[in-house]
Amino acid sequence: MPHGAVADPDEGQVDQLYAETRQLRLQGFLLFLVSDVVLFSSFIFAYLYLRNTLPAWPPPGINRLDVGFAAFNSVVLFGSGVTMHYALESWKHGKFARYANFLIATIVLGAAFLAGQGYEYTNLYMREHVSWSGSGAFGASFFTLTGMHGFHVFVGVCYLTVLLLQSCAGVYTKEKYFGLTAGTLYWHFVDVIWVVLFSIFYLI
Amino acid sequence: MAVQAAHAGGGIADHIHPEPQGFIRRYVFSIDHKIIGIQYMITGFVFFILSGLLAETIRVQLMNHAGGFVSNDTYNEVYTVHGSAMVWLVIIPIVTGGFGNFVMPLQIGARDVAFPWLNMLSFWMFPVAGLLLFSSFLVGAPVAGWTEYPPISLEGGVGTSMWCAAIFLIGVSSTLTGINFIVTIMQMRAPGMTFTRMPLFVWAQLATAPLSMVATTALAAALAALFIERQFGVPFYDPTKGGSPVLWQHMFWFYSHPAVYIMVLPVFGIVSEILPTFSRKPIFGYKMIAFSSMAIALVGFMVWAHHMFTSGLAPYLQLPFMILTYVVAVPTGVKIFSWLATLWGGKIHLTTAMLFALGFLALFTLGGITGIFLAAIPYDLHIHGTYFVVGHFHYVLVGGSLTGIFAGIYYWFPKMSGRMMNETLGKWNFALFFIGFNGTFLPMHWLGILGMPRWVPQYDPQFEFWNRFASVSSFVMTFGILLFFVNVIWSLRNGKKAGANPWGARTLEWQLPSPPHYYNFKHIPNVYGLPYDFSLPLPYKGLDEELTDSPAPVPAGSH
Ligand SMILES: [Cu+2]
Repeated sequence: MPHGAVADPDEGQVDQLYAETRQLRLQGFLLFLVSDVVLFSSFIFAYLYLRNTLPAWPPPGINRLDVGFAAFNSVVLFGSGVTMHYALESWKHGKFARYANFLIATIVLGAAFLAGQGYEYTNLYMREHVSWSGSGAFGASFFTLTGMHGFHVFVGVCYLTVLLLQSCAGVYTKEKYFGLTAGTLYWHFVDVIWVVLFSIFYLI
Repeated sequence: MAVQAAHAGGGIADHIHPEPQGFIRRYVFSIDHKIIGIQYMITGFVFFILSGLLAETIRVQLMNHAGGFVSNDTYNEVYTVHGSAMVWLVIIPIVTGGFGNFVMPLQIGARDVAFPWLNMLSFWMFPVAGLLLFSSFLVGAPVAGWTEYPPISLEGGVGTSMWCAAIFLIGVSSTLTGINFIVTIMQMRAPGMTFTRMPLFVWAQLATAPLSMVATTALAAALAALFIERQFGVPFYDPTKGGSPVLWQHMFWFYSHPAVYIMVLPVFGIVSEILPTFSRKPIFGYKMIAFSSMAIALVGFMVWAHHMFTSGLAPYLQLPFMILTYVVAVPTGVKIFSWLATLWGGKIHLTTAMLFALGFLALFTLGGITGIFLAAIPYDLHIHGTYFVVGHFHYVLVGGSLTGIFAGIYYWFPKMSGRMMNETLGKWNFALFFIGFNGTFLPMHWLGILGMPRWVPQYDPQFEFWNRFASVSSFVMTFGILLFFVNVIWSLRNGKKAGANPWGARTLEWQLPSPPHYYNFKHIPNVYGLPYDFSLPLPYKGLDEELTDSPAPVPAGSH
C-alpha cells in the first residue's frame, strides 16, 4: 500500500492497518488450508492402506465405480474453478457486473456438482447396494472421503453466496477484498482435492 | 496522534487497544494473551490434580500384588483417563497454550498474538474437552489405555465415544493455537528481531507449532474414524468387517510420537532461557540449539512405527524406523551438550527455577537413553508392553516435561504475578519431588525387564517389594507437588514484590513491569542483537522509559 498517495494521515493509518492485517489473515488462512490438506491426506492414507490389505479391489461383489459420470461431474467442478478465477480478476479490474455473473456461475456449477454427487450416491445405494457401513473398507473409505469433500463444496457454495451478498452490500472495495481472495483460494483448494480423489477412486 | 504509517516498523502492533472493563471481559472471556496463558495454566493444573489423584489410585492398588483397592474394571478406567488427561489436558495445554501464550508475544516484542479472538476460542475448547473426558466416569470411562487400540476401543461403552470427542476438541484447539503462533512469530516480531536474534523459547514454540498443527490434524482424522465406526458401524478398524486395527496404530502414532515433541520442545525452550540466566553466561551454541529443535520436529514425523515393532510390520519396514529413531538422538544430544557447555565455568545461582532446570537435564537424559534401548528392535520385542516402557515415558514426560513446567513456573511466576515465590518452600518442593520421582519410576525399569506387564490390576508376588517401594515414593513425590501448590497460593498473597527483573534476565519480557501492562509495550523496541550476551549492554533501543532506569538486580535466593 503506497503511503504517499494518501493525504489524510488517519486514512493512511487505516490503509496500513488493512495491509498488515491482510497479511496476517492470508497467512493464517493458508495454514488452515494446510491443516485441511493433512486431514484429507490422513483419510487418503487410511483408504490406500485398507485397499492394500485386500487381495482384490474393488472387493468381490462390488463393481468398479462409473468413471464416465464422475468425469462429467469433475468437468463441472473444474469449470467452476475457471469461473471463480475470472470473478476475482473482474473484481480487481472494477468490473462489478462481470464479477457478479462469474460468481453466480461458480455457485451454480458448485451446486450442480453437489447434485451430481447426490445422484451418484443414490445410484450406488439403490442399484449397486453399496453403503457407508455395509460394504467394508470400500464403502467406508469412498463415502467418507467423497462425503468430506462434498461437505467442503457445500460450505464453499454457502460461503460464495455470502460473499456475493456482502459485495452487493458494499462490504468490499476495489482495494480491500480479502474475503474474495480467501473464497477463491478455498475454492481452488477444493478443486485440487477433487483431482486427487478422482484419481485414486476412479482411475487406479 | 503522530502519523503512525510513517514509522519504521512494529506495524499493527503500534495500535494500542483500550483495556476492556469488567471482570468477565478481563478475566473470563479475555482476548489478552497474558490472561489466556494464565487461564491455560490454571485449568491445566486443575486437571493435573485430578489426574494425580488417579495416579495415586493406581499406586495404592499396586501396593498389594492381589490389588483390591478398586475393581479391575475401575482400574482400567483409572489408568486410561490418567494417561489421556496428563497428555492432552495437562502437559500439552500448559507448555503450548500456557507458556507459549504468556511468554512468546512478550519475548518477540508484540502486543498480542496474531488472532486474539481465535486464541480465546482455542482456550475455551480446552475446559470443555476436559469436562467431557472426566465426566465419562459417570457413564463408564474408556478402558483401553490412553492409546485406545481397536478392537478393545470399539467395544467400550459410550465413555469411549466421549473420549473421542474430547480429544478431538482439544486437538482442534491445539491446531488453531499452532496456526496462531506460527503467524504471530512469522509476522509480529519487533523491528530488528531477525530469526537468529529470537530467544530460544520462541524458537522452541516455532518448532512446536507446526507439530501441533499437522500431527494433531492427523490424530483428528484417526479419532473421527474411530468415532464414526463406533457410532455408525462404518468399518475402518474392525478386521471382521474389512477394516484393520493396525491402521489405527499407524494413524495414532503418526500423531503421538510428534506429540512427545509437542510436550518436550517447549520445555527445551524454557530450560534454554533459565540456564544462561542463572549461569550468567551466554548460551552455548545458540544456533545449534535453535536449529536442532527444527531438526527434531522434522525427523519426529518419520519414526512413528517404532511403537509398532510387535504389530506385524515387515522387517524391511521396521529397520528404517529403528535407524531414524537413533537419528533423533543426534539433535537431542546436541542440545544436551550445549546446555552442559553453557553451565561450564558459569557463575551458577541455584535458585529453585535453576534446580528444576538441572533436574530436567538429568531426568530427561535418562528418559532419552532408555528411549534408545526401546528403539532397538530386538530389545523392544522383549520389553514391549512392560513396565520398562512405563518407566521410560514417565522419565521423559514427568522427569522431562513436568519438571520443566515447574522450572518455568518458578522462573516466570514473578512476571505473571508481580511477586516472588518462596525459595525455601521451593527447595523442599524440588527435593521431595526429585527423590520421590526417582523412587517411583526407576524401579519400573527392572520390573519391566523382569517381565511385569503394564495395565494390570494384579501381578506376580515377586514384584511386590519394588511396587510398594514405588508407591511409597510416589507419596513423597505427591507431597512435594503439594508444596508447590502451597507455595503458589502463599506467594500470591505474601511473596516479596518482584520488580521488573528480579533474575537479571535479558529477554524482552523482563524489561517490562511485573505484571506487564495490558498493551505490553507502549513503544515497540528495536532489537540489535542476541539476548544472551551477559557482558554487553541490553540489545534493545526504545524501551519504555519507566523501565530502563530499573537497577541491575541480584538474583534472589542464590547461595
Ligand atoms: Cu515414539
